Amino acid sequence: MVTNSPSTHLAHEDSGFLTARGLSRSFDGALVVDDVSFSIGRQEIFGLLGPNGAGKTTTIRMLSTVLAPDAGDVTIGGHSVLREADEVRKIIGVCPQELALYEELSARDNLVFFGRMAGLGRREAKDAAAENLGFVGLLDRASDAVRKFSGGMKRRVNIAVALMSRPQLLFLDEPTVGVDPQSRNHIFETILRLRDEGMTLLYTTHYMEEADRLCDNIGVMDHGRLIALDTPVGLKSAIGDPDEVTLEQVFLNLTGRSLRD
Amino acid sequence: MLRPLSIAWIELKRFGADRGALAFGIALPIALFALMYGAFGQGVSFSATANMVDLDGGPVAAELIDRVSAFDGLEVEMLTEAGADAALDRSQILTAVFIPAGFSDRLEAGEPASVLFKRRGSGGDSGQVASQIVQGLAQDIAAEFEIRELVRSRLDGRDVPEAEIVATVGALMEQAGVAPAVAVEVRAVGEEQNVLDRLIPGVLTMFLMFAATISAASIITERNAGTLERLLTTRLSVNQLFVGKFLASSGRAMVQALILLSLAFAVLRVGDAATFAQVVAFSLLISAAVSSLGLVVAGLARTEDQATWGSVFLTMTLTVFSGTFVSVGETGVLAFLSKLTPNKYAIDAIGDILAGSGGLVGQGPEAAILGGIAVVGVLVARVAFRTAQ
Repeated sequence: MVTNSPSTHLAHEDSGFLTARGLSRSFDGALVVDDVSFSIGRQEIFGLLGPNGAGKTTTIRMLSTVLAPDAGDVTIGGHSVLREADEVRKIIGVCPQELALYEELSARDNLVFFGRMAGLGRREAKDAAAENLGFVGLLDRASDAVRKFSGGMKRRVNIAVALMSRPQLLFLDEPTVGVDPQSRNHIFETILRLRDEGMTLLYTTHYMEEADRLCDNIGVMDHGRLIALDTPVGLKSAIGDPDEVTLEQVFLNLTGRSLRD
Repeated sequence: MLRPLSIAWIELKRFGADRGALAFGIALPIALFALMYGAFGQGVSFSATANMVDLDGGPVAAELIDRVSAFDGLEVEMLTEAGADAALDRSQILTAVFIPAGFSDRLEAGEPASVLFKRRGSGGDSGQVASQIVQGLAQDIAAEFEIRELVRSRLDGRDVPEAEIVATVGALMEQAGVAPAVAVEVRAVGEEQNVLDRLIPGVLTMFLMFAATISAASIITERNAGTLERLLTTRLSVNQLFVGKFLASSGRAMVQALILLSLAFAVLRVGDAATFAQVVAFSLLISAAVSSLGLVVAGLARTEDQATWGSVFLTMTLTVFSGTFVSVGETGVLAFLSKLTPNKYAIDAIGDILAGSGGLVGQGPEAAILGGIAVVGVLVARVAFRTAQ
């Protein structure tokens, strides 16, 4: 079993850039997120793992001000998502699981529009769009309609849109679903570069090797609860030699082998 | 205010970038206009079919059928008795005229004869008119035979040939028809109203409503695509989002309204440039009102199907009860129901502007009602949207 429990990690929560305390949320009487607490330090890549229906996306929706929690609170950069949502939105970027793009429009138009919504001026948004499209390797396709892009290119545009607000904290909800190895590798490099430039990232994925490679700390959720929280090495050490045990073995050990929805 | 305008602009840009939607958006008003113009543009004259069954087969029945056939705008369809009954049963026809056996013999003998009218329900508007015409022609023939018999009885024993009696009575009857004792004078007041002139306000309103409600339903599409949630993580407030969607929906409706109005003014010449400007200005208000109703539908709907069918149901219901295609009169249930629809006020105001009575400034009450609907609709939609979240 995992040695470092969530409560251990909570001991230094107040120093975190993001601090979640006792987050809970129900839908139609079903508890989807149950008393989740954790913190993420500045310039950290935090992996949030869990099987389908574990409550990851609902947690991200609460952290990103879209959904109000039934109980608990979150502070990001010292601002409460409940009381200072506008301040929180100034410092976060969200790359949702869906390709939340206007496919009829060009990549540039998508970025400029979301940049304007994030508070950038027209000139500023255009400059940022060019910069971010260059960052994800799509500047030469800036004028093309998104619907003409491959799945991997759309995923990169999805990330570029999230970067338009120049966020301090970026939420990446399964950003590599359905992309080829080349695009996935490009996304990894992008994430590491962002971290190196000072950004904090919260990352969800079903690919354990991704989490192992990228994340500084990992939280594992199941049935709405945070059941483990540690570094990748710490999680692996709990069940064996970290050089031999894989994160997937840890994951199955924690969440079981029964099929999920 | 810039963010709502950006939302409206991006919506219109998406509309323009989606060639399929754009083609439909432009083609539909043109197709609708072409259909209306083809159907009504050349004016409307009376046209009806008299469904007749000749069970007599005599010369007088044949004469009646000939006279009905000769009546302008009336076409005769001859049916068998069984065929007419079956067609009435199946509602294929709504009225049939049966000339009974012995019809000719009785009239020639100077005895009263009858014609049977069978109808389904009220018989339909054109069926009623056709029946009245057949009835009138039958009475003319009956009167002619009755007078002929009276003349014959008065001249009994004077050895006047039958042919002379028939010719004289016929000539006198014709003379009476040409110069009746009571003359009816018809005096035209103003120009004949074109059917299209009457339909344009209603069709314009219906089109605005379709365009606005379907456009507003894009909120559901965005919710499913994830863009709505993404927008809500930016610095855009929900109120700004709503104003943006409202402007987008109104703007898209106005694009189609402008196409329809341009055709109506260019082809039908329903008014001058000033009238066009006034109708366009009032259409903005109608767009605002119907867009807010579209947002209410979008706020209440949970799926795209619900939003689409909700829009269709709302549009068709309001169109039917507002008197878009039929007159609802001034009293009665339909007149009352029409006052509960925004279409009624839109149609009245556009109709008045087109007729040159009052102009734009004379539409104060209608403008106030439509403005009120726009404001209340947006507020209700906002509450419904929050509940949906």
